[in-house]
Amino acid sequence: MSTAGLIIFYYLAAASITSAILAITRHKAMHSLLWVLALFLHVAGIFLLMGAEFLAAVQVIVYAGAILVFYLFFLMLLDLPSEAAAPRFSAHWPLSVLAGVAFATSIWYARDIPAALVPPAAPSAGNLATVGKALFTEFALPFEIVSLVLLAAIVGAVVMAKRKTQT
Amino acid sequence: MGPIVPVGACLGLSAVLFAIGLFGFLTRRNIILMLVSVEIMLNSVNVSLAAFSHHLSDARGQVMALFVIAVAAGEAAIGLGLVLALSRNQQGVNVEDVTQLKW
Repeated sequence: MSTAGLIIFYYLAAASITSAILAITRHKAMHSLLWVLALFLHVAGIFLLMGAEFLAAVQVIVYAGAILVFYLFFLMLLDLPSEAAAPRFSAHWPLSVLAGVAFATSIWYARDIPAALVPPAAPSAGNLATVGKALFTEFALPFEIVSLVLLAAIVGAVVMAKRKTQT
Repeated sequence: MGPIVPVGACLGLSAVLFAIGLFGFLTRRNIILMLVSVEIMLNSVNVSLAAFSHHLSDARGQVMALFVIAVAAGEAAIGLGLVLALSRNQQGVNVEDVTQLKW
């Protein structure tokens, strides 16, 4: 089980990285979005492998189902020309490479810091039940705030997308 | 049942996906694809949250990931509303053409 799980994990990780790279390098926006769809489905597989079934379901339903379809609608609505090929970076790219290497090195040295700073939770009894209990007891206030955030986003999107009428 | 997936590999995957999303955000010219790159970055953060949740067998990481998904949905709605308002006022949605606020 463990070896098979590892093989599946490394396949999913490699496929995610490949589809992410393809998603940000395709010139046609529609191809990019379809590669992002592949990325989201592979990440859902990784969640499933980590025992987070509810998160995997939300990933497929909300991310791949709702958000990505929303982007696809917009793309077809606006009918964009494909991106013109332009030089990607100016003459500053050695500096950015240096900054990236320094950041990666600092992350590499930070991996020895002990991770057990969080107090251990009670042993979980079934994943979905544990997540639901945490969501509605310990995280009840953030949960309600998230509903306010979504309401503000809906109202804001309607206000911004409304056509201005001359009165 | 112990952890199947090594947490270090998950964090590495998360870092690589975040870097790819950041690179996409900095290099794409189309605003919709920049927003999609932001979604890739948010998703990579979800991978690392789920990895820690799996490693510490603590459900709170998954709850955080759910909140991140909700904020991503709000960001998509607001961002695409902005893109729609922008595309009414000018042709195309390339960031290089949006210079009205440039000093």
